[in-house]
Amino acid sequence: DLLQGPQISKCRSPEMETFSCYWTAGNFYNLTAPRIIQLLYKKSNEEDWKECPDYITSGQNSCYFNASYTSVWTPYCVQLASKNEVYDKKCFSVDEIVLPDPPVHLNWTLLNTSQTGIHGDIQVRWDPPPTADVRKGWITLEYELQYKEVNETKWKELKPRLSTMVPLYSLKTARDYEIRIRSRQRTSEKFGEFSEILYVSFSQIGIGCDHCTEEVEFPWFLVVVFGVCGLAVTVISITLSKQPRLKMLIFPPVPVPKIKGIDSDLLKKGKLDEVNSILACHDNYKTQLYNDDLWVEFIELDIEDPDEKNRASDTDRLLSEDHLKSHGCLGVKDDDSGRASCCEPDIPETDFSASDTCDATSDSDQFKKATEKEEDLLCLDRQDNDESLPSLANTDPQHQHRNAQSENSHPWAHFADSVESPRPSVHTQISNQNSLTSTDFYAQVSDITPAGRVVLSPGQKSKLGRAQREGCTEQNFTMDNTYFCEADVKKCIAVPSHEENEPHVQEQSYNEDGYFTTESLTTTVANFGASTAEPPSSEMPVADYTSIHIVHSPQGLVLNATALPVPDKEFNVSCGYVSTDQLNKIMP
Amino acid sequence: MSTKGSSLKGLLLVVLLVSHMLLTKEGVTSLPICPNGSVNCQLSLEELFDRAVKLSHYIHFLSSEMFNEFDERYAQGRGFIAKAVNSCHTASLTTPEDKEQAQQIHHEDLLNLILGVLRSWNDPLIHLASEVQRIKEAPETILWKAVEIEEQNKRLLEGMEKIVGRVHSGEVGNDIYTPWDGLPSLQLADEDSRLFAFYNLLHCLRRDSHKIDNYLKVLKCRLIHDNNC
Repeated sequence: DLLQGPQISKCRSPEMETFSCYWTAGNFYNLTAPRIIQLLYKKSNEEDWKECPDYITSGQNSCYFNASYTSVWTPYCVQLASKNEVYDKKCFSVDEIVLPDPPVHLNWTLLNTSQTGIHGDIQVRWDPPPTADVRKGWITLEYELQYKEVNETKWKELKPRLSTMVPLYSLKTARDYEIRIRSRQRTSEKFGEFSEILYVSFSQIGIGCDHCTEEVEFPWFLVVVFGVCGLAVTVISITLSKQPRLKMLIFPPVPVPKIKGIDSDLLKKGKLDEVNSILACHDNYKTQLYNDDLWVEFIELDIEDPDEKNRASDTDRLLSEDHLKSHGCLGVKDDDSGRASCCEPDIPETDFSASDTCDATSDSDQFKKATEKEEDLLCLDRQDNDESLPSLANTDPQHQHRNAQSENSHPWAHFADSVESPRPSVHTQISNQNSLTSTDFYAQVSDITPAGRVVLSPGQKSKLGRAQREGCTEQNFTMDNTYFCEADVKKCIAVPSHEENEPHVQEQSYNEDGYFTTESLTTTVANFGASTAEPPSSEMPVADYTSIHIVHSPQGLVLNATALPVPDKEFNVSCGYVSTDQLNKIMP
Repeated sequence: MSTKGSSLKGLLLVVLLVSHMLLTKEGVTSLPICPNGSVNCQLSLEELFDRAVKLSHYIHFLSSEMFNEFDERYAQGRGFIAKAVNSCHTASLTTPEDKEQAQQIHHEDLLNLILGVLRSWNDPLIHLASEVQRIKEAPETILWKAVEIEEQNKRLLEGMEKIVGRVHSGEVGNDIYTPWDGLPSLQLADEDSRLFAFYNLLHCLRRDSHKIDNYLKVLKCRLIHDNNC
């Protein structure tokens, strides 16, 4: 219904030597003859419109321009017009409208067939369109081949190529195929028309496979079945495998809560005792660890009852709060061992104020001598006071002896390496400064008696240096420092007795923790009054414990010190410890 | 020691790969038989023509694509096609317009013509590459192609000069050349006019590159394959 005037449908050049333009007449009924419609053309460098030279050659409603009228790279304009009006106009150049003719002379040859005879390869050949002058290189064509099975609807395409032959692989010999080819100029986008269809039939040349009509389709069912079986086999083999690593890799174990050493079965069986013991073991391990450690938490023990030695386990005794007593002395009993003296104010030699509850005054006396504050630990000093030192000195530092002593609940007896208790003077380090200072100082727990006492090995830094100046007398031990240097103590050891003490000393020097053994101290003290021989120049290994007051970096550690002023400026560098006061004096 | 040797081998391999990549960057050259600057080495004429044809085909391919992209992007709805009865600056050069003329012209003259056209396009291509970047929101592909065409044109010019040197018996005609004065039109303030100028230039480029490509193929078939490509 729509009135459409004549239109130029297309202009085409098949070989870049001639071209034709085609138009549609439209549905103007009042046009009597097509001749009325004219096609006029004009080259770009011309002024006048010329009429189409040939209306016939290309068919109806067409205009054919032969080679003489064709200039390839010249712009043309054509227009469709009648006498009065112009219906349509088009401008182009011939090189833009090249659409080659289809290839000719298609044929195929068999290359080979598969062993089963089901598939075959063929080679398809053709000739370029006869109109295109490919031989002289005037036009370069490329070809696109399409093929399909006879009863299919969709064509398969191959990539455009320059050559005029192409192999087709893996065609089914049981089927027939159709092939068609079209061409285009190499740099164009549009293809020309398709060639005639080429029929490929294998049976014609006797290759066809009669019995292989069934197409082998992909065996999905088999794939699924075998896949599932394989997976099942793999899973089973992995679960049953003895290789724990592989199993862990693929089936990682779900973490369950676990306590080391506790078997879940144990809990299930309900044997709580065992569980308790295991749990207790853990704590034991812990304490042992600390035993090895240099710095040990000070354990407060306060054993009130002499009968406490009859307690079930050492651990309980140790850890039990009941043991803590205001006496402050570990297992200090009121017997002749001198425990009582700990708490008596008039005992001058006791450096060792075991506990807060001990008389503060006595403590203060002791503090003057004491350098270290060990709270409520073995009231070693006290024992010293009462027991004859020589007797102690001569005794072997045997554990049995200690045990014997311990029966009397003399905690002092239970020294790490010696039976003897250190001299109170020397023992100043052990003496606590409870009343004066805070209760944090350190000692190494060397052993725990069956009775439940803690045996400490005191680390001492004696100020023998000072003492030595003053003749190494007890009272000359100034307690301006909580520590004694071993060297100082050493110096106070008398020469004659030094030799006999030497082995002990030597023993001591080998002590890993570097603590003075009480023995050494006792020997030192034993010879204390015995001689005023000059102390050996050799220095004993310094091993001291001290409580850290503050870490005063970079200047160093500031150790807790007694409030007592330092009587003399010299401090023994070999000790390696500096008290707060000393530090203050040293530093601005 | 072995590690040192293997590392050297690896380095050599890397160098070879990189050099191969760089050499085959444009995708049209075959591996060089003669290294540059070698006096004694001579490529055969067939080789020279092969390379020249490959280059000219590539240049035409790029120009065609660039024109299509430009047309699609800027020329739609502006009626450029209607106005595009354009004349290129190389129109003054009388080049064969059909097959018969191409067959009749002497190959030396044709070679000179080709050289002339190539030289005439040297200048416009340089300016095209620089001016196309000023187009508002020019697609990256157009920019890249402009630069690439300019480079390849230079190479083709060199190749053609070599061929001319081989083929020519007499003097080489250096006179064929058309100057280009279209630069101001590419720099017009009015965007429409400027775009039209570009359209024309790209149209001319596509046409001339097709011409050169065709002439070279004709020459190759004529000289190398004796009209039996």
